Order: sequence, then C-alpha cells, then structure tokens
Amino acid sequence: MAKRSIVPFGPQHPVLPEPVHLDLVLEDETVVGAIPSIGFIHRGLEKLVEKRDFKQYVYIAERVCGICSCGHGMGYCESVEHVMGVEVPRRASYLRTIWMEMSRVHSHLLWLGLLADAMGFESLFMESWRLREKILDMFDATTGGRVIFSVNCIGGVLKDMDSSMLSAIARTVDDMEANMAPLLKTFLKDYTVQSRLKGLGVLTREQAILQGAVGPMLRASGEEYDVRMLGYAAYGDLNVEPVTAKAGDAYARCEVRLKEILQSFRLIREAIDKIPEGPISVPVKGNPSGEYFMRIEQPRGEAIYYVKGNGTKNLDRFRLRTPTTSNIPPMVELMKGCQLADVPLIILTIDPCISCTER
Amino acid sequence: MNDTKIFAYARTAMKNLFHKPATTSYPFEPAQFPERMRGHIEIDAAECISCGLCMRSCPTGAISVDRTAGTWTINRFDCVQCGSCANLCPKKCLSIVPGYTKPDRHKAKETISLPKKAQPAGGAPQKPAMNPEACVYCTLCAKKCPQGAIEVDRGSRIWKLDAPKCVSCGLCASSCPKKAIEMK
Repeated sequence: MAKRSIVPFGPQHPVLPEPVHLDLVLEDETVVGAIPSIGFIHRGLEKLVEKRDFKQYVYIAERVCGICSCGHGMGYCESVEHVMGVEVPRRASYLRTIWMEMSRVHSHLLWLGLLADAMGFESLFMESWRLREKILDMFDATTGGRVIFSVNCIGGVLKDMDSSMLSAIARTVDDMEANMAPLLKTFLKDYTVQSRLKGLGVLTREQAILQGAVGPMLRASGEEYDVRMLGYAAYGDLNVEPVTAKAGDAYARCEVRLKEILQSFRLIREAIDKIPEGPISVPVKGNPSGEYFMRIEQPRGEAIYYVKGNGTKNLDRFRLRTPTTSNIPPMVELMKGCQLADVPLIILTIDPCISCTER
Repeated sequence: MNDTKIFAYARTAMKNLFHKPATTSYPFEPAQFPERMRGHIEIDAAECISCGLCMRSCPTGAISVDRTAGTWTINRFDCVQCGSCANLCPKKCLSIVPGYTKPDRHKAKETISLPKKAQPAGGAPQKPAMNPEACVYCTLCAKKCPQGAIEVDRGSRIWKLDAPKCVSCGLCASSCPKKAIEMK
C-alpha cells in the first residue's frame, strides 16, 4: 500500500468562489477519501427570523445567497402565504416564475463560465459571462437590482412588468438563444472540453439516489426528478419536463445545465405569452400561525423551506435546506479514486454554493 | 466520440478579435442606470412627518428618526437598498433612486434635519377622530400606529388617542376596516 498523506484543499482556492475546506486523503496522486468541513461564512440568518418580523425577513431570506436570491425570496414568501392562507394573484405567480427562470439562466451561465475557467479555457469563460450580462441587464431594468431583486413580498410581488418590458425580455431571450449556439457547440463538441470532462466523476443513478443528490446532479445520472413538476407558482400552467442525461459524468452535468438554459428560454417565452392581466399583490392581514413545508427547484436543485409561525409577528422557526447541502455527500463519494488534479473540476460540477449551505 | 470537433471555438475567438469590447470604459464613459435601479435612498425632508415607520421597517437598522431633535439619519454603509422604507412610507417622502452614493473613507452617518412644519392653512395638523357607532374595537388602528398613540380596550370598549404622540400619518384611518376613523 502506498503511503497515505493528507493535503488540505481550501478554504481559499482559485477554483472556489466561496470558502469550503476539504482534507484530501491521498495515496500517491490518487484521492482515497475527502473530509469536508464548512463554517467559514456562517451568518446566522435562520436565527434572525426570531428578531425581524415576518415581512421584513423577506429581504433577509433573499440575501442568503446572491445567485439563488430570487428563489429564496419566493420560497420563503410562498411558505408564509400557505401558512396564512393567502391566495396570490395569478399575475404575481407568473412574474415570479419569469424572474425565477431568468435566475436559472443567469446561474447556469455563471456556472458554465466557472467550469471553463477551471479547465483553463479562459476565452470560453469570458464568452459565457458576456452572455450572462444580458440577462443581468434585464434584471436591472425590471427589478432594479442585478443580483438581489427585492421584488417578492408576502402576498405577491412589488413590481409589475408592462408589455414593453415583457417584450424586451422576449427579445433578449431570442437574442441570447441565437448567441448560445457557439457556446453549445464548444461545450458539447470541442475535443479539449470532451477529453477533460468525459468519464470524470461518474455518479450512477443508484448512487445518486442513495446519496441524496438533487438538481442537475441527479438528472445527469438519468433520474427524471424536477420539483417544478409539482406546479408551484405558475409552473402548473407551463409545460415543464425534466432535462436528463444518462452518463452521470461531468460532461453529462454540463450537458444538462446547457439544455436547461434552452428550456428556461422556452419557459420564459411561454410564461410571457400566457401571463394574465390583473393585480400583482393582495393585502395581507394578521400574523402567521401554523407550519408549512415546501419545496422549490432552485437552479442548483431542490431547496426545502420550512416555516413555523406562532401567531406573533416573529416566526418561531425558519429552516432552509439548500441544494448544495444535499450534493456534498455525493461529491465526497465522487472524489474517491480520482486524481488530485481532477478535484477542482469535480467540486465545481456540483455547482457549490457555500453561502447558501451555511446561511 | 463521433461528433467531436477540434477548434470548435476558433470561429468565435476570431470573431471576437475584430469586435469592439463588450465592456464600457467606465469612468470615462458614464454608467447608464435603468429607471428602476435601486441605487440609494433619498428623502423629501419637507414632507416627512417623523412617524418612524422607516426606522422600524429597516431590516438592517440603518435609519434612525429623532422626533424631538427633528432629524432623520441614515447610515449609508448599513443600507442594503431593499426599498422596505420607501414601500412603507405613508407620506411617500422616501424614494429609492438610481445612481450610487459617493465612496467614503469613513463610515459616517448622514443626518438630515427636518424643517419645522408651519401650521397648514386649515389650522393644526389633522388628528384621527373615531365614530363610536361604527367602531368594532378590532384594535387594527392601534397595531398600525407607528407611534403607539392609540390604545384600544376591546372588553370595556375604550378607544383612546394620546394626541401629543400622534404624527398625523393617517395610517389608522386608512387601515380601519369599518371606516370609523376620520382625520379631522
């Protein structure tokens, strides 16, 4: 048996946008085990729900993470609305869905850029982020913020989009779809990218289910599981089908995310076509009393929201289980047997979001 | 690997060589802000009635209102531009406008002194008056009052206004489900 050594990886590492630490157990160049430790950016945001009133907390929930901001705000608001029995106007649900799908495009393009960067393909990284800029500009124009939107409120949304804004979004989506072609070609067909990603970090379907993988990580292993099929917000009216791939390797995870961007473009167009007229919010009276548990599909996978109200303006408990929390155990499994040089890429393929995980 | 291509990116890379840059040369070229951008909070001091709702609604505690000194203070470094204060302001004197505030080396607070209100043409500022025939003593007005100036006892059917505390914001009248409160 080769001599074992432990190499610390992170919390500061060029491939990691956020701090997470891994102790890699190596036998020569091969990783035989990885021990993750988190806790570098814990901010106690769940506890803060006891100090801020439930309406103020919307602004805190959406600041859990910069990339999943819209989803966290929406997940929290929908849970509280269910507790209080508030019926959200349909237009508000559609607006939430449009912003949520735009967030998915923005998150996946960010990830594709980071993946290209981790492979050392700098120009592809810049190309992905240049494209992402268009969707960020649309966010800026429609919500007033590039990454933190502050549009969700208990009972609906705070800002409406008029027909000119909706058609501007549709135009941007068409334009982006045309510009996606070279990206798709490069990520899916380029020899260099394929030789780097194919066969790397293979997660079988059984393993993925057993380890509790979620989101694109699970779908890339062939499991048709997408929480959007539950039909929350306006997804019930839209034609959502899970995007899957079979291989379960890094290439399959990249393919699933690329195809989900195209799916999001389609969903945005469909939602813009179907959006009904009407009010965007309803007044909310009283305080939440009771509990609710809901799931939504974030760009990175299934996120779980649990709220418990006690009839006062402060909630008793808010619990958030983020997709990265579920994806860390399969990630640790994937590393066993890989080469040290492949570790950064494998970590990146789960699309880690550490500030979500630690809250 | 049947559909593998070499130099799949070459065409895009060549095209980018002859394109103008995707970025703008800020600060030489001024930044363009969309109309809805949440840049910073501005106050129309003449309209402010020091009700303190903004102070209480701020999730980060960046705003403080001192009624006796007549000042409105904001710590721009604590403000996260969520727009909570501007959404709730009963007089709509707070607004969130495009453009960033200037960078600073010290985390200084910005204090704005509110002008002393001249008596309006109609006499003293309006205070809420309750119509006992319509009131159901639901206590909603007392809950909405930013200054806690209204006291309602449902059991003994008492509605009491602490007039010096009242800031005449009118929130009690607008929130009353029975329209029993009138600003007079």
